[in-house]
Amino acid sequence: MRKGVLAVALFWFSGAATAALDIEVLARTCNNCHGVSGVSVGQSMPSIGGLPREYLKTVMKQWKYDERGAATMNRIVKGFSDDEIDALAVYFSKKRWVPVPQGVGAKLLARGKGVISENCEDCHGLTGSDPDEDAPKINGQWAKYMQLELEKYRDDGFLMPHRKMKRTARKMNPADVPAAAHYYGAQRK
Amino acid sequence: MHAIDRRGFIKALAAASTASILSIPGAHAAKTKARVVVVGGGYGGATAAKYLRLLDAGIDVTLIEREAVYTSCPLSNEVIAGDRNIKTLQVGYKGLQKRGVKVVRDEVTQIDPVKKTVATASGKSFGYDALVLSPGVDFNYDAVAGLSEALARTTLPHAWKAGPQTLILQQQLAAMPDGGTFIIAVPPGPFRCPPGPYERAAQVALHCKHHGKKKAKVLILDANDSFSKKPLFEQAWKELYGYGEGGMIEWVSGSNDGKVERVDAQSRTCYTGFGEHQGDVVNIIPPHHAGKIAKDLGLATFKDKWCEVKPASMESTKEKDIYVIGDACVGGELASNNAFPKSAHMAMSQAKVVAASLVAKFNALPAPQAIYTNTCYSVVAHDWGFSVVHLYRVRDGQWVYIKEGSGISPVTFGTPQKPEPVPRIYRKLEVEYADGWLRNVLADAFA
Repeated sequence: MRKGVLAVALFWFSGAATAALDIEVLARTCNNCHGVSGVSVGQSMPSIGGLPREYLKTVMKQWKYDERGAATMNRIVKGFSDDEIDALAVYFSKKRWVPVPQGVGAKLLARGKGVISENCEDCHGLTGSDPDEDAPKINGQWAKYMQLELEKYRDDGFLMPHRKMKRTARKMNPADVPAAAHYYGAQRK
Repeated sequence: MHAIDRRGFIKALAAASTASILSIPGAHAAKTKARVVVVGGGYGGATAAKYLRLLDAGIDVTLIEREAVYTSCPLSNEVIAGDRNIKTLQVGYKGLQKRGVKVVRDEVTQIDPVKKTVATASGKSFGYDALVLSPGVDFNYDAVAGLSEALARTTLPHAWKAGPQTLILQQQLAAMPDGGTFIIAVPPGPFRCPPGPYERAAQVALHCKHHGKKKAKVLILDANDSFSKKPLFEQAWKELYGYGEGGMIEWVSGSNDGKVERVDAQSRTCYTGFGEHQGDVVNIIPPHHAGKIAKDLGLATFKDKWCEVKPASMESTKEKDIYVIGDACVGGELASNNAFPKSAHMAMSQAKVVAASLVAKFNALPAPQAIYTNTCYSVVAHDWGFSVVHLYRVRDGQWVYIKEGSGISPVTFGTPQKPEPVPRIYRKLEVEYADGWLRNVLADAFA
């Protein structure tokens, strides 16, 4: 009897192990560009490990259903089922958020602080680590990537979905864009 | 598998939901579960070695590579143009050693698939339970009369393996006068890095445009009638450098007598079937095939050039327990002309499939679902890049090319009847992403 229970348990665990390995295999296709465990070492590529599940899911589905523009990602995600997208969002949301604080000059940092308190802080928080539910963490996110994202929001030819984000990004002075990006990129916590 | 190992495995899986790594805890790692030898330390081999250790530290992994430093082929065309320091493309093997990979600097001379041993030039022998071959390509210099390996090392570099030849070509381009002609000869496909020759043409033109050589010509002599990302390249060439009649870049297809059959190194003249083209810099990319070690073993069963493998595991169709990945293998949906491209990203993708399937095998778990992806960027100017992505799955034991998850960057927006130009921000983003991609793939494979 006892033995039987053990066998069933092992069978069940073995099934779970298989599914876990399948998700590992799927998720590790993302590592090439987003880093192991979703911690990017390329300045133009965002870290994705530890971002909120809802945010990851929403963004991938918006790309898949052409509700958000992208240069590359919109093509990649179209090959994934909605279930796979959900599994990837869960997988990466469970990783630890690892900020990669980048050095920035005192002057740009001070300017950035002014810019973000006026434009970004309401939703993204003072350091970017405690954002609103639908927003990503951005403390220690790559400044280069954030600057490119802001440029997308500011460009007429780029389909971006978030009205408030779009409005705010567009009213920023061009020189304020790198200041805001570098400010959040420099935050540790 | 012993029950104790299975429990360890499951415990590790539970831990994997908080930590990230699906590896066997240290207690079990002490006992070697299996020995894997990886031959070749490029993107494919390095990734296989690393991910085997990441997934299961109980596996003993030895990587045999003849060089101390690896130089990335991707983005090496920027080095030729003088826009990138080759050092940004170079990486050593310390990262893999830190992960417990035994890195051996040596050359594999023989493989015995019956005794399951690998012999090296220095006289060492390594036994294996599984052998991962990632030997890259070797060149067939004889296919172009007048060409030789000695010439490729000196006056006629192919630079199709990044390293010293990349720098020779860079110097030749820098020394080329205004009004000079740079010839790129493309071999019959399939070849390593399908968009590479055409990106190289753009990078050479970019160099000339910014270095007072506006009368220079880039002549592509092609053995083929089409090429990767063709509409994107032609659009960019035309807009940035002039393409075709009177433009800086000219492409001669195979049907138009583009195939170079002979070269005279002295006069730098390329001979096609009926014509001859004299260049100031002559860059002949010789036809190539699976690395010698795989070919010698008789694994190159596809057209006597490439190694056929099983879709779910990348195991050779010829030899048991030998897995062939990277440029040396052939895979994908061949019937629909959607073979695996020979790219770094693809090699890494294959390596990850091998690692996962070997870990499953050594732990007596069912084989995981294989999935293969590719992303490949081409940079044609400082603010103009584009890409192609590929997705393959395995169904009923066969590779299936997933069209919905594949394809090139848009050539135009709007409708086919009323096309509109793609906003420049898209092209600019992909240049930035190419650099981010490079840093991440180097880290994913070697760190």
